[in-house]
Amino acid sequence: MTVKQRWFGNALSYFLLLLTVAFFLLPLIWLIGTAFKPRLLAFSVPPTWFFQPVMDNFFTIFRQMPVLQYLRNSIVVAVGSTFLAVVLGVPAGYGLARHPGRASNVLAFALLVIRMVPPVAMLLPFYLLMRDFHLLGTYWSLILIDAVLNVSFVAWFMRGYYASVPQDMEEAACCDGCTSFGAFLRVSLPLALPGVVTIALFSFIASWNDFLFAMLLTGRNTRTLPLGILESYRAYEVSWNLMAAVSLFAVVPVILLGFALQRYYVSGLTMGAVRE
Amino acid sequence: MISSSTTDLACSGGSAPKRKRRFRLGRRSSLAFWVSPALILIGVFAIYPVAYSVFISFFKYKLTDPTKSQTFVGFGNYLAAFADPSFIVAVRNSLVFVVGAVGFELLLGLALAVLLNRELPGMGIVRSLLIAPLTLTPLVVALVWGALYNADFGPVSYYLKQLGFQLGAGPIGEPSLALASLVVIDVWQWTPLMALLLFTGLRSQPLELHDAAQIDGASPWQRFLFVSLPLLKPTILVALVIRTMDALKLFDSVFAITGGGPGRSTEVVNYYIFKVGLKYFDIGYAAAMSNLLLIIIVIMSALYLRALRTSGRAS
Repeated sequence: MTVKQRWFGNALSYFLLLLTVAFFLLPLIWLIGTAFKPRLLAFSVPPTWFFQPVMDNFFTIFRQMPVLQYLRNSIVVAVGSTFLAVVLGVPAGYGLARHPGRASNVLAFALLVIRMVPPVAMLLPFYLLMRDFHLLGTYWSLILIDAVLNVSFVAWFMRGYYASVPQDMEEAACCDGCTSFGAFLRVSLPLALPGVVTIALFSFIASWNDFLFAMLLTGRNTRTLPLGILESYRAYEVSWNLMAAVSLFAVVPVILLGFALQRYYVSGLTMGAVRE
Repeated sequence: MISSSTTDLACSGGSAPKRKRRFRLGRRSSLAFWVSPALILIGVFAIYPVAYSVFISFFKYKLTDPTKSQTFVGFGNYLAAFADPSFIVAVRNSLVFVVGAVGFELLLGLALAVLLNRELPGMGIVRSLLIAPLTLTPLVVALVWGALYNADFGPVSYYLKQLGFQLGAGPIGEPSLALASLVVIDVWQWTPLMALLLFTGLRSQPLELHDAAQIDGASPWQRFLFVSLPLLKPTILVALVIRTMDALKLFDSVFAITGGGPGRSTEVVNYYIFKVGLKYFDIGYAAAMSNLLLIIIVIMSALYLRALRTSGRAS
């Protein structure tokens, strides 16, 4: 390749990248901008991209709805279900990896099928079950369904992860007199920590972003952020500026989490892809 | 399912010659020990609902019916689904949506992955930025695009008008454009996922093959077509499974911004089942349809996985 060709190729690459980044970021920039726009500007034609930011929307939403309670509910549900899914799912994935064979394969396949069940199919019977347990409108109903969906994913993922973690150290610990559970806690779990962080991140994001289950299973006091967002959008008059302001509470934490843990996040995506 | 034959091989205890050295774990290490806590949770809160849904799908059961009577109708609900024009339209919409969304995501994702794979300064930042759409709450994404599409005040409609496109009721207001507009939303949120997956796939390919092809005089395009792409096939298939399963579950954007309309143009199967089950409370019928949907999903995944297995054998 001549120097000129390479220069042209690079320039073209940067141009295409610029277009790509613009396409994928503009809606996000619009959202963040709109949260700081006065109502009139939010609906201006042509759209305004440069303006004096104001905080009015945030004052309004804090007056109109319990945003901090929504935030707290979202945190309780996402942390609770992630915790449950990881505590139960990681040992399960470990067991499946360390006891290969027919039973392990069948179980792993069953876990995958659970991931495929359409949420609506699960939702109705689950709703009736929760009604009979008198758990509707409590944190438990939402934590449980998110945990169930996540635990199957966690176990399936950790099974693949542990397949690539060598067993020598576990065996050494085992022969030094550890029980198998002791060896798991002291050796296998720390060894797999990157995988656990990755899968916890995925569980957290899935549960944090859930809307369908939250809509049906939460009550007045347990509503999560997505419901608050829909409320801000619809309750009074369609107000994009208020919707955007509430949305930031839902969107900013996961974006920051994604950036901060991007190494884990991307490796998690790949793990899923490399191991069938 | 949990056989005791795979269990209880103590570290100090005898050797199982067939199993090599795999089970030299502690005394209480059995498959059942490790998986049962998770299985109990799944059994009670996932298997039970699914089993109930299979059971009730053979009954006529309406929650709104004051007598709460459950009449056994055999496969009546399933037959009703095939005769229900709304269900057929919903299935068709879902398939069109899945093919459109996943197809574009694959093409754009592949192009983007190739671009990302070029070693240029600043590429790391671009890859980081591309993670943002993936983490966003789908409901928020839907509402944002709903606003962008708005016929009177939305930026997308405005700029399209400036470019000379007359859209009338806006992208999601026109029956012929609404489903395609939802496809664009899905493509926006999930193409980066596809791109990152394929990028990692490309990154992990052995360089020797590319070098050999280059020495043999293959052009960059030929190297992509005959070296990279075949090696990438397993990754592509898995990415397709992941996205297809998710795209079939489309709900949030339909619920939040189109409500299935205009007309029935965006009523996808998930949304229709939701409507029948939780608005009309026709539980038996909704259960039957969701079971049909599950069968469709499992068949599609099985086809992909079979393609994956054959491609694995070929390479």
